Amino acid sequence: MLFSSIPFLYTFLPCVLILYFLVPGWLKNTVLLLSSLFFYAWGEPRFVVFMVIAIVQGYVFGLLAEKFRDRPKRAKLCLWASAVVSLGLLGYCKYADFFISGFNTLTGLSLPLLHVALPIGISFYTFQILSYVIDVYRGDVTAQRNLIDLAAYVAMFPQLIAGPIVRYADIAPQLKHRTHTLADAAYGARRFILGLSKKVLLANVLYELISAYKSAANVSVLFVWLYAAAYVLHLYFDFSGYSDMAIGLGRIFGFHFIENFNYPYISASVTEFWRRWHMSLGSWFRDYVYIPLGGNRVSKAKWFRNIFIVWLLTGLWHGAAWTFILWGLFFAVFLTAEKLWYGEALAQTRFLKHLYVLLLIAVSFVIFDAASVSDAFRTIGSLFGLGGLPRSDVLARYYFDSYSGVFLVAIVGATPLPAKIVRQFSEDGPGKKIMSVVEPVVLLALLAVVTAYLVDGSFNPFLYFRF
Amino acid sequence: MFEKWKSILTVGLLSAFVLGFGIWAAVKPADALSTSERRPLAQMPELSASSYLSGKFMSGYEDYATDQFPLREQFRTLKALMGLYVFGQKDNNGVYLADGSAAKLEYPLNEDSVAHAADRFRYLYETLMAGTNAKVYLSVIPDKNYFLAEANGYPALDYQALTDALRKQTEFAAYIDLFGTLTADDYYRTDSHWRQENLLTTADTLAAAMGAALPDSRYTEWTLDRPYYGVYYGYAALPMEPDRLTYLTSDLLDACTVYNYETGKTGPIYDLAKGAGKDPYELFLSGSVSLLTIENPNADTDRELVIFRDSFGSSLAPLLVPGYAKVTLADIRYLPSSQMGKYLTFTDQDVLFLYSAPVLNNSETLK
Repeated sequence: MLFSSIPFLYTFLPCVLILYFLVPGWLKNTVLLLSSLFFYAWGEPRFVVFMVIAIVQGYVFGLLAEKFRDRPKRAKLCLWASAVVSLGLLGYCKYADFFISGFNTLTGLSLPLLHVALPIGISFYTFQILSYVIDVYRGDVTAQRNLIDLAAYVAMFPQLIAGPIVRYADIAPQLKHRTHTLADAAYGARRFILGLSKKVLLANVLYELISAYKSAANVSVLFVWLYAAAYVLHLYFDFSGYSDMAIGLGRIFGFHFIENFNYPYISASVTEFWRRWHMSLGSWFRDYVYIPLGGNRVSKAKWFRNIFIVWLLTGLWHGAAWTFILWGLFFAVFLTAEKLWYGEALAQTRFLKHLYVLLLIAVSFVIFDAASVSDAFRTIGSLFGLGGLPRSDVLARYYFDSYSGVFLVAIVGATPLPAKIVRQFSEDGPGKKIMSVVEPVVLLALLAVVTAYLVDGSFNPFLYFRF
Repeated sequence: MFEKWKSILTVGLLSAFVLGFGIWAAVKPADALSTSERRPLAQMPELSASSYLSGKFMSGYEDYATDQFPLREQFRTLKALMGLYVFGQKDNNGVYLADGSAAKLEYPLNEDSVAHAADRFRYLYETLMAGTNAKVYLSVIPDKNYFLAEANGYPALDYQALTDALRKQTEFAAYIDLFGTLTADDYYRTDSHWRQENLLTTADTLAAAMGAALPDSRYTEWTLDRPYYGVYYGYAALPMEPDRLTYLTSDLLDACTVYNYETGKTGPIYDLAKGAGKDPYELFLSGSVSLLTIENPNADTDRELVIFRDSFGSSLAPLLVPGYAKVTLADIRYLPSSQMGKYLTFTDQDVLFLYSAPVLNNSETLK
């Protein structure tokens, strides 16, 4: 079920909220768990089994890892066993065909592909369970003895299918005791509506332009740039919108999830970009892969090895295709280059650093979206006038004209400017008074407009489901 | 203090909206069809173990919930207004407004599609008409975009290239140019079709080119009482004034009979029951019918005309009837070309391939 759908907004969510706030505190996690299982089963009934297996093994091995804490070998065995099951499920569902294809190419064999359908959100909940067992093994958290509480943490529908990747350590206390306040409910509702609006009014609308590009028989350089710009903005509003909705829903239920985006497109370097984009994934790889490998406190050669391993895995996490591996390594190269050569010099520039980041991001997302590596190179070449495309064409000029308003709203919306204006306006007495009425009314209007878009259109994809 | 009031207002307003519409949607009886979109609306799917496990129930329920949402038409209008006037987008669902008229974007020229249409016409000619005395004509009907698109900054088909490509591949037919006989005002504002009452010059042009004499018929204009909301009205979902649907009658047309090969029944040229139905344009020769014949008992001639046509032909054909004793209309979207020989025999008829530019540019439906 999508957050941005009529059944979720007008049937599932109100029913769950009513039930959740009616039951006593000790039953709230049970309500959350059952509603989350219903939510998950709505799209993929049979894949609930995968998730239940992943949760139960995480629960059991977490308890065992803690039990054997003073017997390191056994504890480590529990950790590895959990990792093998978690990553085994992920590997089977997500990477089996990719590796079989690669093996067939290398050996000339023709082993049959498995064609396993990818359970939605499996990459997210696998990483959550992994981090839980690792943290228990390390002694950073105590193992959860209540299976319902652990399952509610993993399966919690606000963050189940698209993150952010919430660490158990961050919400363990809230699973036990959390407060529900009017202020939290209002903050959560506001955050949810803003995220929903980002997704439906900007990401989905921009994707219509992307679809028009992809279905065009002939394109021009201008059209390729329009596509790249639309895709860059679409991906941000799609994913960050979903994260906002997750954080908002979490807050309504009394949870404080970590932030996942912090205006990544204002970054002045690729390094900074990755501190602002999908922050929960970046910090996961930092804490569970990069630092255990030695981080930067090793020889230079090993440091670069660590960077490349992390970005290879980051690419693979996003998808089982060479384009994603290339995408990850693309960032590894520029992150390394920034550290080695031009990072400091770039920081001294005023506009060049932003242009540099936006250009690299555009190119990277073209790779990300490409159907194949050759397609990626062809599109990147087209961006720079290679391939003999005309500079512009009628369709590109039309879409430029038709989408300029959407681009303008999206570009401004991708910066902290609107939030800053609202904050400054709300600081003084009269502004605060006005905003106490205007803000709820604007949120209501946004919900009405979002509903209008959902009612009108059947087009409503969400990219990050496939991760 | 203000923060508290803001929280109360935020939670109160949003909860009321979600709960209000949620309850309304739950208790509202399901509508059967959307008149503006001219399509049946999704109904509550049947819940069973197999429909649940296959996911059909869920996808069906999502369609149902979206289709049956309260104030659906008003919400669609809100979306259209938001797109056009807040985001400044130039079309809504591919439909744009220009000069007070709604039109659907048609771009670019699909040469393969034109070639497919020409191939179908050639097949009909070679299997049914070649070697006979039939005189074959071809004409392209410009759609509204021809008059509106380029002039208002919208991508426009290269109509010259379309007609050139078609003519080049249908050298067996004499081309009749209709582009100069029409203006944007000759089309309904809310629909794709042309207005019959404005087609006299077009009909004269066709008849003259085919050597048929149209008697100086005096037509009486009749206008349906009900407003006519065309197909673009539904697509655009914008507040537009409806059209009025007018049809032309005469004693000669009133005396004609139409034989419908699908139903085996005979009726009049204008099907008033259809005019009161979901698509009033179907008043003209009962709308989408694969094959029908109009008999003109008062004709001064024994000439016959066969028109291979799309829906534009329904409103034009009655105006050509006075020049012929018999007019046959065949639609190869519904009856494949390979089947036509079972029903039609060609000797010395006039044969007119009369198709609108959008159908030629999306000719996969021509069989």
